[in-house]
Amino acid sequence: MNSSSSPFQFAKLKTRQLMLLVLAAASPAVLMHTWFFGYGMLLNIALAAVIGLSSEAVCLWLQNKPIKVALSDYSALVTALLFAVTIPPGTAWWLIAMGMVFAIALVKHAYGGLGHNVFNPAMAGYLFLLLAFPLSMTAWHLPQAAVTPASDHSPLSWTGFIESLSFVFPIIQNQTIDIDGLAMATPLIEYKMAGQNAVLEAYREGLPLFSRSSGTGWELVNMAYLIGGLFLLSLRIISWHIPVAIIASVLMMSLLFYSDGGSSVNGTPYLHLFGSATMIGAFFIATDPVSAATSNPARIVYGIIIGCSIYGIRVWGSYLDSIAIAVLFANFCAPMLDHFFRPRIFGQVRWSPLRGQTSHE
Amino acid sequence: MAISWAKRACPVLGFGKRGVKLGAIKPPPHKLESLRSRIMPTPLPERLVLSLQQHQGDASIPCVEVGDKVLKFQAIAEANSESSLNLHAPTSGTILSVDQSLVFSDSMTPEACIVLECDGADNALKVSTTRDYRALEHEHLLQRIEEAGVCGMGGAGYPTALKLRHGISKNIDLLLINAAECEPYISCDEALLRERAKEVIQGAEIIQAACLANSCQLVIESNMNEAIDALRSEITGSSVQLKIVAPSYPAGDERQIVFAATGRETPSSGLPIDIGVVVVNAGTAAACLHAVSKGQPCISRVVTLAGSPLRTPKNFDVPIGTPISHLQTLCGMDEQSHQGTLAGGSLMGQPVLNLDLPIKKTSNCVVAMSAQEFPAQEPVLPCIRCGYCADACPAHLLPQQLLVFSKQQAVEALEDHGLFDCIECGACAYVCPSKIPLLQYYRSSKELMLLEAGVTARSSHWQQRFQYFQYRRKRVNQQRAEGKQSASDNSQQVEQEFSRDKAREEIAAAVARVKSKKSKNQAS
Repeated sequence: MNSSSSPFQFAKLKTRQLMLLVLAAASPAVLMHTWFFGYGMLLNIALAAVIGLSSEAVCLWLQNKPIKVALSDYSALVTALLFAVTIPPGTAWWLIAMGMVFAIALVKHAYGGLGHNVFNPAMAGYLFLLLAFPLSMTAWHLPQAAVTPASDHSPLSWTGFIESLSFVFPIIQNQTIDIDGLAMATPLIEYKMAGQNAVLEAYREGLPLFSRSSGTGWELVNMAYLIGGLFLLSLRIISWHIPVAIIASVLMMSLLFYSDGGSSVNGTPYLHLFGSATMIGAFFIATDPVSAATSNPARIVYGIIIGCSIYGIRVWGSYLDSIAIAVLFANFCAPMLDHFFRPRIFGQVRWSPLRGQTSHE
Repeated sequence: MAISWAKRACPVLGFGKRGVKLGAIKPPPHKLESLRSRIMPTPLPERLVLSLQQHQGDASIPCVEVGDKVLKFQAIAEANSESSLNLHAPTSGTILSVDQSLVFSDSMTPEACIVLECDGADNALKVSTTRDYRALEHEHLLQRIEEAGVCGMGGAGYPTALKLRHGISKNIDLLLINAAECEPYISCDEALLRERAKEVIQGAEIIQAACLANSCQLVIESNMNEAIDALRSEITGSSVQLKIVAPSYPAGDERQIVFAATGRETPSSGLPIDIGVVVVNAGTAAACLHAVSKGQPCISRVVTLAGSPLRTPKNFDVPIGTPISHLQTLCGMDEQSHQGTLAGGSLMGQPVLNLDLPIKKTSNCVVAMSAQEFPAQEPVLPCIRCGYCADACPAHLLPQQLLVFSKQQAVEALEDHGLFDCIECGACAYVCPSKIPLLQYYRSSKELMLLEAGVTARSSHWQQRFQYFQYRRKRVNQQRAEGKQSASDNSQQVEQEFSRDKAREEIAAAVARVKSKKSKNQAS
């Protein structure tokens, strides 16, 4: 109405609603995670959200930008969520704060704010912590109840909550709470470190549903991410190109290099798709539009790069949850992919990287 | 092939809730309101304002004087060249003025207009009717269409006879009648097809005969049920075939409709006639029928009056030259909720500031805007490169990349990313979740680039002049040194030797040399 030229009619979907839908799609998995592993992740998310929003407000204030408009696009909340679900539950508050400030202030606002960051802020924040504090980033701190199913109280009980809280804020730890055997590795590390017998045993045991065993709970959390991702796809909030390319290439790689129960991590495709962070990576992290490739053909190549790097780093590299490294590596490639892989313009013959558009004549 | 299969499967799988099909959008149509009533005849206004530029091409030359009495159907302006158009009086009356500089639109460019004061009697000139148009030669048909001043009524306004002649010279084989009225609010073609399907079909037959096309298809969107039923009952025994396409915007764009109907892609630098297709609007077909069988020139057209401030939105059969305000008053305009008016639909229309603007042969719709239907614009947020615009773009461009290059004014990158293939349909700006006025960026970039091209052309002209000057001075100095003749005698000879053409040839040769050098360098 205020504009002086066409078009005058607009679709209703706004950036804010788009971000809220992403948050909504991730929530089942977060709830599932809480059910299995206690309140650790919820505490992570709450803390990361508060720190993310306040550091974004400070950055905007320093740059003399309107604070309210930029905060209400909720992009900082999405970054906080993705960061919080990537780091292990029970991470200390100062680690979360460092990671979030790094993600928002340096990776996002130093490059110009929303829409201008070259790298995925959540993944850059995680990788910063992983490089600086490798030990804290590869061990899960869980309430005892979540680790040993035989425990007398549930991780969702008050004691479980206090336990989770005490990992985040070590200062409130006291003698009354028993915190033995808290640290455990992510499921993939267990697979990588475990011997052949343990792996074979895991295959035989199958999936003890809802037994609150952390190894299988992780698989159900990944299924929840898959469902959330399909929800986003069905609303066409994200396009299918990146997730399909990632999942297909991880599937292909794990089929190609599958070794029958022998070696540690060349496990089944099932393990690679659901026993790790592949689902959240494919549907929620790699699809961050700002740092990803933007044209559809380029997105497919982008997804393939991520999928292959995930598998390659996981199997032959030193890091296990390799989503962050793979995504950041693909972020480097994105501008080049956008240049080389473009859709053919309607009415033009083809596009060649060296000669540009060629028309019919 | 896999991609085309996926494209077809996506809407089936329920992917499309954002209102986006690949390469198209589905905005709410807002057509039912104006289709509730039948096409109404318009009571004559006091005066009609007839622009001499009803069409695309050269302006018509008035052939009446101030004070002349004219009859309905009488010619009041004549075609000046082959790209010009005859103009006829829509009713009887007195010529009030032949004004050279009436300013109407926001562009502030004056338009030459003839103002006709209606006498209300509506006395018509006797016109010769033709019973059997099928017996007429194609040249005769073309002549009739030309005399009647018919131009494209879909909006572009290209003289129809000229278009058909171009088609004949290119040996076209297919005629498409465009009834895929895809833009929101516009319903004039649909109303025409519901009520006068026979006229459109007969008009299509006439055009087919006139342009010697082998076959003729009438393309319509699948959601125009009543119009399709009307067409089905009339189409039996006709050479016209019905082609139903999926409703989406911009399905009615010339290139899109050719692709949807035939699978042929119009080359980026060409026109549909280059691939053997002529596209004519449904309203134009009806006008051609009137021109040929009834001998009536093009003096009226169907116009949609839409928008929520109107109490009864409807379609009118409007004499050309009727002011917009007259039509809006007839629909019962609620002045309080009225916030502005658009000429055209909501996605490609232009704002009208002066409601005395007359209806032209190309005006299809007038939308009265209210604050509810057209809310104030949201604050613009930064682009997050979500790519919804690329999915919506019918030309398969990357609007998000064009935005970046437009901001940088990176001219070469813009051209390489196909800025000039943009048809300005506005689908990208429609879907943008950050509410970025994408189309405004592209328009200003296009303008800038065209301006720069003009500057380059001018500078090359003056470069040529300067090179000529240098050449002449050198010759004169040479001959002075040789002392054979006086310089003044020489100048003529020099001029002869250095003719413009020769200079141009020399420059062209030099440019070619440089180019070949460059390409050699690149190759090596």
